[in-house]
Amino acid sequence: MAIRMHAALRRCTWLLALGWLTSLPATAALPEDPFRSPMWEYNLARYLGADAAVRHSDTVVIKTPPFAEDATQVPLTVDLSAFPHEIKEVITWVDLNPVPHLFTLRPEAAEIRTVALNFRIQQASTVRAAVRDEQGGWHVGSVHVEAAGGGCTAPSATASNPDWADSFGQVRGALFSPVGGVTGTRLKVQVMHPMDSGMVGNIPRFNIETLELRQTANQQRLASMALSESASENPLFVFDLEHDAQQSGILLLLRDNGGNLIESRMGI
Amino acid sequence: MNMRHLLLLLGSLLLGSGPGMADAYRYHLEPLEIAEGVWVFEGVTEDFSRANGGNIVNTAFLITEEGVIVFDTGPSRRYGEQMREAIETVTALPITHVFLSHHHPDHVFGNQAFDAEILHALEGTIRLLAEQGDDFADNLYRTLGDWMRGTEVVLPTQVVTPGRVTIGGRAIELLAMSGHSGADLVLFDHSSGVLLAADMVFYQRAPTTPHSPGIDVWREELRELEALDFRYLVPGHGPVVSDRAPFAQMQDYLAWLDDTLRSSAAAGMTASEVMVLPIPPRFDEIAVARHELMRSVVHLYGAYELEAMALISEGG
Repeated sequence: MAIRMHAALRRCTWLLALGWLTSLPATAALPEDPFRSPMWEYNLARYLGADAAVRHSDTVVIKTPPFAEDATQVPLTVDLSAFPHEIKEVITWVDLNPVPHLFTLRPEAAEIRTVALNFRIQQASTVRAAVRDEQGGWHVGSVHVEAAGGGCTAPSATASNPDWADSFGQVRGALFSPVGGVTGTRLKVQVMHPMDSGMVGNIPRFNIETLELRQTANQQRLASMALSESASENPLFVFDLEHDAQQSGILLLLRDNGGNLIESRMGI
Repeated sequence: MNMRHLLLLLGSLLLGSGPGMADAYRYHLEPLEIAEGVWVFEGVTEDFSRANGGNIVNTAFLITEEGVIVFDTGPSRRYGEQMREAIETVTALPITHVFLSHHHPDHVFGNQAFDAEILHALEGTIRLLAEQGDDFADNLYRTLGDWMRGTEVVLPTQVVTPGRVTIGGRAIELLAMSGHSGADLVLFDHSSGVLLAADMVFYQRAPTTPHSPGIDVWREELRELEALDFRYLVPGHGPVVSDRAPFAQMQDYLAWLDDTLRSSAAAGMTASEVMVLPIPPRFDEIAVARHELMRSVVHLYGAYELEAMALISEGG
């Protein structure tokens, strides 16, 4: 009896030691979440990778209202004007949404210091923006948004409109000077699309999955973006773009999971 | 524990935990007579909270030769019941009419305290309450907790025909408007000169815009109301006045909101950027202005943004 106990104890000790050794590198690198979200570590591993180097940053500024007036359309602006590094990638997610991911933005020939897109919220949640710098490190900004919720499982306004197909794929947009005296161009564009999340009874997922911005003249890609179910209906995108040869105009390409390609030209 | 202790414990459980319980969830409504036979319950100029139980609204009643006319029923069943109790301390006359100004929850969720057969509202109000009432209730249960206990949506059964009517000797004018919520009933009591403007007029409290058909519509209707020959004005939220100051403030604030949204859209600003724009110091005395600006941007800014963009692809 005593020997068996001893063996069991020893096995436990080994397991504990093994557990400590394997968990150490991952957890030691992650800072505590000031918002204590239960999804903090899980979503970091899911979207940034298990061994990502992560730090909090107050230069990744998420501008949202502190409460969701409309759970299907919560305004989000990610302001990176004070971010001190090169921006390789921006990933945003809503911690407690059924599909947390909102978008992944990869600037290419253009520098992007501001991006905006409305999101849906299913319940009060932390919202994250993670920015990858030129060294591969991730800088995370977080805010909490209070909400009655239900934004992901509310039927789209499009679904209740029998004429929705008439305006489907309609694109409106304009170019502005960026707010705050930054050089470059602010692009604002809205696309009529139901962006069905697939979480409403008998309505399958039908959403725009990718967006690309190209220079019209030479087709050079300025940036690309991948979108998920957290993105709102009739999405309105804002980008502050800094790039060469601005006189050539911008080509916008959107693809949804139904095989539709929506193409628009802006500027000269 | 002996039997006596057990009985005491049982007794205290049944009676609640002492004198505090009897006071819980009381709005302490105090009717104030502002003109002959016209009484007002004034709420605080705050947003809904568990501290105020939703008593953020002004309600009123008028005493006629035959009975009582109630104007709006407050944010909860408890409010409606306590309002009724307070009315009974003033008069023994029966309640003959309940007019509901519009479908927003802080004005109609006390309906259960009154006979549904005497609930009067505009046709649009009845329709909007049927569509949105349950969502309002969900939201208020979440925000106010136990204050809302037992509250359910009760739809008015009597459709108001706008115009003049005499009720128990009082000359009443019912005006149908839409600027605040899409269907707004204003009651002007010619006998006393009291204008019950409900949420067509906010004073010292920022106006809310969730179902407004547009700032321009609201401002035009405010001009019509201001032209009425009233002696006292009871706004939906904020203090009762005997002058036209609330109209000046409403026009000033709404014009500023309209200009701000238009110029922001013309500059290409995002919704979240507009929400944190500075609010002019002259609006410092207006309660919850920042909160309501954030809400109004969600309600209204999209239409201004649409105007500021060009159609690039037809779609379809």
